[in-house]
Amino acid sequence: MTTGTQTAMTPPATKVSEPMDPIFRQIRDMVYKVCGIFLLEEKLYLMADACGRRMKELGLRTSREYWDRLTAHANRETELRHLLNEVTIGETCLFRSQPQLDALRKVILPELVAEKTKQVVKRLRIWSAGCSTGEESYTLAMNMLEESEALLKGWTVEILATDLNDRSIESAKAGIYGDYALRATSDYFKRKYFSTIDKKKLQVCPEVKKLITFSRLNLQDDSKMLFMRGMDLVFCCNVLIYFDGPSKSKVIDHFFSNLNFGGYFFLGTSESLMKLNDKFHLVHFPGTIGYWKPSLKSGKL
Amino acid sequence: MTTAIATTIRERVDRLKTIPSIPAVFLPLLKLLNAPPEQVKLEEVIKLVSYDNTIAAQCLRVASSPLFGLAKSPESIKGAVLTLGLRRVQTILLTCSLGQAFPTNNWVLDPIVFWRHSLGCAMVCRKFSEKLASSDHDKAYMAGLLHDIGFLVNCLAFSEEFGVAIKHALQEQIPFGEAERATMGFTHCETGRALAEKWHLSNDIVQVIAHHHAPELSKTAQPLVALVHLSDLLCRVRGLGYGYYERHKVDLVHNPAWAILQNQHRDLEGVDLAHFTFELDDAVEEVFELVATIFGSAAAKKH
Repeated sequence: MTTGTQTAMTPPATKVSEPMDPIFRQIRDMVYKVCGIFLLEEKLYLMADACGRRMKELGLRTSREYWDRLTAHANRETELRHLLNEVTIGETCLFRSQPQLDALRKVILPELVAEKTKQVVKRLRIWSAGCSTGEESYTLAMNMLEESEALLKGWTVEILATDLNDRSIESAKAGIYGDYALRATSDYFKRKYFSTIDKKKLQVCPEVKKLITFSRLNLQDDSKMLFMRGMDLVFCCNVLIYFDGPSKSKVIDHFFSNLNFGGYFFLGTSESLMKLNDKFHLVHFPGTIGYWKPSLKSGKL
Repeated sequence: MTTAIATTIRERVDRLKTIPSIPAVFLPLLKLLNAPPEQVKLEEVIKLVSYDNTIAAQCLRVASSPLFGLAKSPESIKGAVLTLGLRRVQTILLTCSLGQAFPTNNWVLDPIVFWRHSLGCAMVCRKFSEKLASSDHDKAYMAGLLHDIGFLVNCLAFSEEFGVAIKHALQEQIPFGEAERATMGFTHCETGRALAEKWHLSNDIVQVIAHHHAPELSKTAQPLVALVHLSDLLCRVRGLGYGYYERHKVDLVHNPAWAILQNQHRDLEGVDLAHFTFELDDAVEEVFELVATIFGSAAAKKH
């Protein structure tokens, strides 16, 4: 539910040799403890900028005052969300995480296909939870289509993309993107799966759209979450920051139950589940981590 | 491994014309590493650095690199050593002296990639060790640095066969060890062990070199071997591998090595693996810069 903004992001502050205010490292540790997002050193400067903007808006003068606002104020949770919004804004784009896609195509798909090969219905179900304006869903769809003549020959792929926000869903359905959202998309994919709208915008072609069903869903609506069963893969990037501790655990439990045995759950590249769920196995692939619901025959459940 | 293969390896290692002798600064350095840092005398370190012109020059170069952001580069060895700190000096000494023992002109492996992995693994081993109260961090570092030394032996003694194994690994996107086993019938673990024994390295380090792909086979140093095994895997999924895509899924917590380590170090349970992984990403850049600075001229020649 990060806004798939198409406006340019504020350029990161240049790395200066003067030491950083230790409060920012304190904030970084707090952000990890509260929501499992790890801000790498390079992101720390972005966060420091974001803190500056928030302080200005709140009329605070020192970083210490802002720390108090984040930790001791009645509205601390709201403030933390504001801050994280500032930090993660503009992150959304197509092909955001190549290591995740490599893991999917080179390691996970061969494994899933081998495991499900005896099933009569050769079907793969993927859920993009908190799909925002559709970037992730289309990226997944295009990558699945790339495998349709190879690994996934004879398979049906269904991608379910849900978001809380109606406007995001409408925009996702349209599938129109500008340069900024397409900054990581190669010419190969642009030529193969997009049509030109005008000089600055491309639209996803119907062949890709056909794979995806967009719909509105509140991840906190327990009764609806019960009907999302039978998933092989769930992607939920930068969404869990919007939930407090207990509701986050509940949502993660739902994801776990909705996955088939042997299925995978992915978060954003610097996000983690911390210790919120001990049933998932944290697994590493080159350059990315994921969470695995052990298969029945692995005997590791 | 059959006895016949073991004999072949030993014979080849023995017969090497350019037999890598143990670098002169190596053993005194090991001794230094084993002493508590507060007991290490600065003069001794400076003496070791000054022993070899090339190494002294490397230390000065690294100390002047942007890594340390000094306004003015240090001009003396003492200045360089103070800038770098004891640990980095040790790293540079070990790397350079090993580099000299294995002249890189015939390597079928990119030396830059080799050192990135070795230094990377050493760094991860130390950081991992630091999470465990009763672990010996310097030994962990040393073990990480030397675990793959068998690849250097392969480059010298089996360069043709090893070249084939590397090609096979890259093509199939499988680990080097598997490719070595498939094409050569033995691996860097066995060749590394032959050299380590020849050099009379300590038994723990020999165990690490011989068993870091199967810690359960180690008879005397299982926890250390397990730590290196896990760190090696972690390196290979976080950009400090051998520079090619390995198709693998790594479940560290359910790896037998994790249980071995946990048996010895109960505090392993409290380690947040995801957080540790992200922390390492911040350190990767330093490893890259360090290797680029140490091998600056070699890298420039290569590309």
